Amino acid sequence: MASALTALQGAPLPDRLVEVLPFGSGPLGTAIAALVGAAIVGSLMMTMTAVAGPWAKRKVTAAFTDRYAVNRLGPFGLVIIVADAVRLLSKELIVPEGVDRPAWDLAPIVLAFSALLGFAVIPMGSGIHLADPEVGLVYVFAIASIASLGLVMAGYASNNKFSMLGGLRAVAQNLAYEIPLILIAVSVVLFAGSLQMSEIVAAQAEPLVTVAGFSVPTWYAFVNPFAFVLFVIANLMEVGRNPFDIPEAPTELVAGYQTEYSSVYFVLIYLGEFLHIFLGGAVIATLFLGGPAGPGPASIGIVWFIAKIWAVYLFTQWARSALPRLRIDQLIEIGWKGMLVLALANLVLTAVIVGVIA
Amino acid sequence: MSLEEPRPTDVGEAADGTVDYDELEALLGETALDREDHVNAPAFVVRPDEVQEALSALREEAGFDYCSNVTAQQYEDRFESIYHLKKYDDPTQEVGVVVPTPTDDPISQTGEPVYRTAEWHEREAYDLVGIEYEGHPDMRRILLPETWQGHPLGLDYNPEKPQVVPFREHANPLQPDTRGEGAESDTMFLNIGPHHPATHGVLHVKTVLDGEQIADVEPDIGYLHRCEEQMCQQSTYRHQIMPYPDRWDYVSAGILNEWAYARAAEDMADIDVPEYAQVIRTMSAELCRIASHMLALGTFALDVFGDFTAVFQYAFRDREVVQNILEDLTGQRLMFNYLRLGGVAWDLPEPRSEFFEKIRDFLDGLPEKTTEYHNLITSNEIFQVRCVDTGELPPETAKQYGATGPVARGSGIDFDLRRDDPYGYYEELDWDVITEDGCDNYSRVLVRMREVEESAKIIEQCVDLLAEWPEDDREIQSNVPRTLKPDADTEIYRGVEAAKGELGIYMRSDGTDKPARFKIRSPCFCNLHTLREMSEGEYIPDLIASLGSLDIVLGEVDR
Repeated sequence: MASALTALQGAPLPDRLVEVLPFGSGPLGTAIAALVGAAIVGSLMMTMTAVAGPWAKRKVTAAFTDRYAVNRLGPFGLVIIVADAVRLLSKELIVPEGVDRPAWDLAPIVLAFSALLGFAVIPMGSGIHLADPEVGLVYVFAIASIASLGLVMAGYASNNKFSMLGGLRAVAQNLAYEIPLILIAVSVVLFAGSLQMSEIVAAQAEPLVTVAGFSVPTWYAFVNPFAFVLFVIANLMEVGRNPFDIPEAPTELVAGYQTEYSSVYFVLIYLGEFLHIFLGGAVIATLFLGGPAGPGPASIGIVWFIAKIWAVYLFTQWARSALPRLRIDQLIEIGWKGMLVLALANLVLTAVIVGVIA
Repeated sequence: MSLEEPRPTDVGEAADGTVDYDELEALLGETALDREDHVNAPAFVVRPDEVQEALSALREEAGFDYCSNVTAQQYEDRFESIYHLKKYDDPTQEVGVVVPTPTDDPISQTGEPVYRTAEWHEREAYDLVGIEYEGHPDMRRILLPETWQGHPLGLDYNPEKPQVVPFREHANPLQPDTRGEGAESDTMFLNIGPHHPATHGVLHVKTVLDGEQIADVEPDIGYLHRCEEQMCQQSTYRHQIMPYPDRWDYVSAGILNEWAYARAAEDMADIDVPEYAQVIRTMSAELCRIASHMLALGTFALDVFGDFTAVFQYAFRDREVVQNILEDLTGQRLMFNYLRLGGVAWDLPEPRSEFFEKIRDFLDGLPEKTTEYHNLITSNEIFQVRCVDTGELPPETAKQYGATGPVARGSGIDFDLRRDDPYGYYEELDWDVITEDGCDNYSRVLVRMREVEESAKIIEQCVDLLAEWPEDDREIQSNVPRTLKPDADTEIYRGVEAAKGELGIYMRSDGTDKPARFKIRSPCFCNLHTLREMSEGEYIPDLIASLGSLDIVLGEVDR
């Protein structure tokens, strides 16, 4: 058993589960292994969201804003997670009059799952990697973009003008930022020479320079910091966090596209939002921060990976506590006139760097 | 005023800067039927169909460019509207225009074409008293619901009569989505409020959107109308009115409001205030101003930043210190009820040195906090992009709408009653009036932030004075009769510089111990009126930011 595991170290998680689980390697066994693998990754991400939403977000914001937060239930107030889950799930699901039923019901599910599906191709280290298609990067962006569809569905189906405005803003914003985001990701592809996630991670493993016995890896954040900064900003816009939380814009549009959602649907939408932040963090970690790479044995890669995701999450919370929100027209202007041009410039810059190195 | 070109003297202005009312009467000529003497300034009686003529003569020829208030009231034999006019350059130059109308036909010409601010004042007069204004562009109720029956401040109003309104008469607040001619119109009607995160209370802003841009906006107020004027009319001057002003602008500006009543009543009944009490009043009022401006800053940041961000919490953290000081002084955190006619309720808390220490600690820490705010807010590029050149209010428009306070000073109007119409101890102290010429949301915020520093300067000087004050001269109240009955038919209009602008009180005595008419001129009411001018053609976020920069408190708008 142990030797079989070692042999399959590089293979995706389901392939290894087939060996471990007692269902053989037929179609049924493969399907069960795939489901179990997906359940493991899904549970991991859901757990992180559960910690991030009701607890970490409040704690972090409180630290930034000089006050206390959730400190009554359990150690460090952690039991608030359970309390909040019970509270949210036991609320009445209010269906407003005149909503477009199938679309209105589907939108939260689309939002949550579009983010969740993206994790399928992310190599998280310690062998947790569901699938490794050759077009992994394209898959991530394609799946993440489905969220825009969910936003539009939620916006128009709610039969609420605030939702409608929020949905329209979401589309305008996503169009303006998806393109620069992908263009910057293309520059990484230029470096790595592959769209496959595992290849991109592997390409960042070699040391770039060694300073006083301390070796700096070729993480693309070090190789091309310009692209890294651009990508982090574009990602912030993509996940719709401050200062780019324009589709929600609590003080303007009440809650934007999610105004009419309550109870379980509200939970799903929030789940989707946090998963999107984490997916953004995972993509940043994979493309620019060497994926699960870090000091220590490769088997603790998942720890480093989660740490990197949380670092990105903390960054979004920092921005949320400190920065004013842009106006929609200003945001679109920055997207099309600023970020797009910079992304193209970055592409040229990357081509030059690649030419020099190679 | 530029040096090379001295302002041409207006008609009716004497060489020493006072008003020559005989000259004004000559200017009005046939229009002025009579002259009445109010405590603050004489008033001219004009015919109800010559209101515009009289007002525009006073505005154009005599330079009265500020209509601070319109009071309406009913006598046994007539209705009366009083236009209280002042000058932005020198608000001590006042004049009133009294328009009597017969009880059976209370129709008076509107003053709206001359002073835009009269639009809302006249609507209120119609709503509460029942005078109709001919030629008014929008003669509807403003504070009470459209379906209300009767005019509550009229003499023949029966409050016992139930307001029975058939269901079908209630207008549906959700108006149709489109405006204009048929289906081709592509505008959308949007109700912002009465339940909305950014309306600072229960305000309903009816907006018509063209895409994301504002095509039309109309604030719908009155949700928080609590009959404050009527309650004051049913209360005695000496003790019962004073708690009410705390409830107008209820966000920590209590003592400033109380001062408005105290000043009007003291001037009316000729009550002296000991100097020591004036210094305490000045100090506590400025503490209130700081608390109020901190709240304004925090909530404006909330509107622009979009969340309960660090700025909001920092502003509240610092406001909390002021609140603690005020609690030590007055025993209350919200409804202070600290001022009395002729002085204040009690002396500073013992031990005095500890109290002064507390204030000085706060003042010493303030420059550092201010730097922090400037780093976080005003020097933030995104904040500047959002606020500079949005919500523009040119000075001329601001004057038309009777804007006062930080809103006027943010439009470059150098107007502050503390300096221009001095009261309390302000004249003896060294401080500046802050103005900014940007006329936009950014200027209004900057004015408030800098005013906090000026208030700190005032408080510091007051604390020094109070600490040195000889112990045998600490008189906190003058002798005021237990029952105060000003002479019958005394009329007065007096304003003070409250946190939001000129808070004025009009009172008429009928010889009893309760005022026959008590009218509140709320600065927020007039400032909110400018919202339409500011936000037309701008985006929804700018509308929200403009609303935040006006710093309205609905308790004061609706009274």
